[in-house]
Amino acid sequence: MSDLRITEAFLYMDYLRMSECIQISFAVCRIGIYTCFRALCCKGPPPARPEYDLVCIGLTGSGKTSLLSKLCSESPNSVVSTTGFSIKAVPFQNAILNVKELGGADNIRKYWSRYYQGSQGVIFVLDSASSEDDLETARNELHSALQHPQLCTLPFLILANHQDKPAARSVQEVKKYFELEPLARGKRWILQPCSLDDMDALKDSFSQLINLLEEKDHEAVRM
Amino acid sequence: MFISLWEFFYGHFFRFWMKWLLRQMTGKCELQRIFDTYVGAQRTHRIENSLTYSKNKVLQKATLVVQSEVDRCVVDIMKEKNINPEKDASFKICMKACLLQISGYKQLYLDVESVRKKPYDSDNLQHEKLLLKLWNLLMPTKKLKARISKQWADIGFQGDDPKTDFRGMGILGLINLVYFSENYTSEAHQILLRSNHPKLGYSYAIVGINLTEMAYSLLKSEALKFHLYNFVPGIPTMEHFHQFYCYLVYEFDKFWFEEKPESIMYFNVYREKFHEKIKGLLLDC
Repeated sequence: MSDLRITEAFLYMDYLRMSECIQISFAVCRIGIYTCFRALCCKGPPPARPEYDLVCIGLTGSGKTSLLSKLCSESPNSVVSTTGFSIKAVPFQNAILNVKELGGADNIRKYWSRYYQGSQGVIFVLDSASSEDDLETARNELHSALQHPQLCTLPFLILANHQDKPAARSVQEVKKYFELEPLARGKRWILQPCSLDDMDALKDSFSQLINLLEEKDHEAVRM
Repeated sequence: MFISLWEFFYGHFFRFWMKWLLRQMTGKCELQRIFDTYVGAQRTHRIENSLTYSKNKVLQKATLVVQSEVDRCVVDIMKEKNINPEKDASFKICMKACLLQISGYKQLYLDVESVRKKPYDSDNLQHEKLLLKLWNLLMPTKKLKARISKQWADIGFQGDDPKTDFRGMGILGLINLVYFSENYTSEAHQILLRSNHPKLGYSYAIVGINLTEMAYSLLKSEALKFHLYNFVPGIPTMEHFHQFYCYLVYEFDKFWFEEKPESIMYFNVYREKFHEKIKGLLLDC
């Protein structure tokens, strides 16, 4: 009877675990074959993509979590308000961005400056369709960030999100209201209108940001 | 690609011959053998796998049967597998119970998903009533001065208008919060009080919505199966989902104060730790 049990147990082995094992073993074989191939053809290991540490800030509800989720090919359908911070590694073709996303609620914003250390770039997300009061708060926060000693020399990617809403202000209006031309003079910044529906435009702006980050890296090396 | 190859091989050849061998040796089909050997969640889970991977269309469709058709479905299964009701009297009852649990779980997920998909709507009177009910349950002695007010922060919403906080969880987040406050009022008041701790405090409502997301994702990923199969002898309902939510809120509060995190900024780190702990407990059924 116990032999039957063993056979049955074998038969009813957890299907998922089995397919996971198969997956892993095939992945290992592929890596092994690829490495041997490269060694045989006398090619060195493939160059690793550079990694940059970024900080992502913006008011609550501006869309930070949703945008980052979509860039990581995750569904933004079940996002909840970010409390505290959350770290995401966002992969691009020519770089990996380790983004530290900070929650935008009133009680969390006071902690923002503690997390600026070590950042190489800033992503600022704003809701283009928010109320006048909220837009003013966003402007104050952006100005504080632009002038903060740990961030003032870094490239900024400013995302005017929620462009799909009817009340969204245009890029020109945002640029004017946030006084970007006078205030951010001498700094490197990109202002990009975006929404969750248009990922291509968003990815373009990130490519520009990566270029700025690479330039800064080369500058540092030259110095 | 390799997985589908394995699936094909397993489903079409290997499994078939193993089962044929066992049927010859014991004189019973796979379903009967499972009923003999296992009880509780193990039994239901194995029946579900057996039906899902069966080549027989009747058996495959059985996991999606509606409540009104269950009896007929069981009779069909017995016909397909040549099971004699006189020889195996308990098969009918056991099979019915399992089918109700299996299809009930799938239906519960669909029900929860349809509630989650409904965003909070300020123009919907039911939604507004529910929101005010939440305030009155949690703050019975304080009157809400206006619908849009900074007072909402007292129960842990982020802004002046709670509707911006529900996001991906929609009206499900609010329903969960109200359920807990209504059915476990003294516990809710205690936890709300603790959430205002000067150093270890957290936003009561926001964390509640986070825990709704946790409960929803555990339901979606089928991690709740073992627990519900063990705990609910028939069809699991929204009530059971709400009860699980209440358990998460109560346990998370205990967990948070035991862990004594440095500040609210580390919320996600501890949330993940708690999530792993719960997943471990759910597997241990």
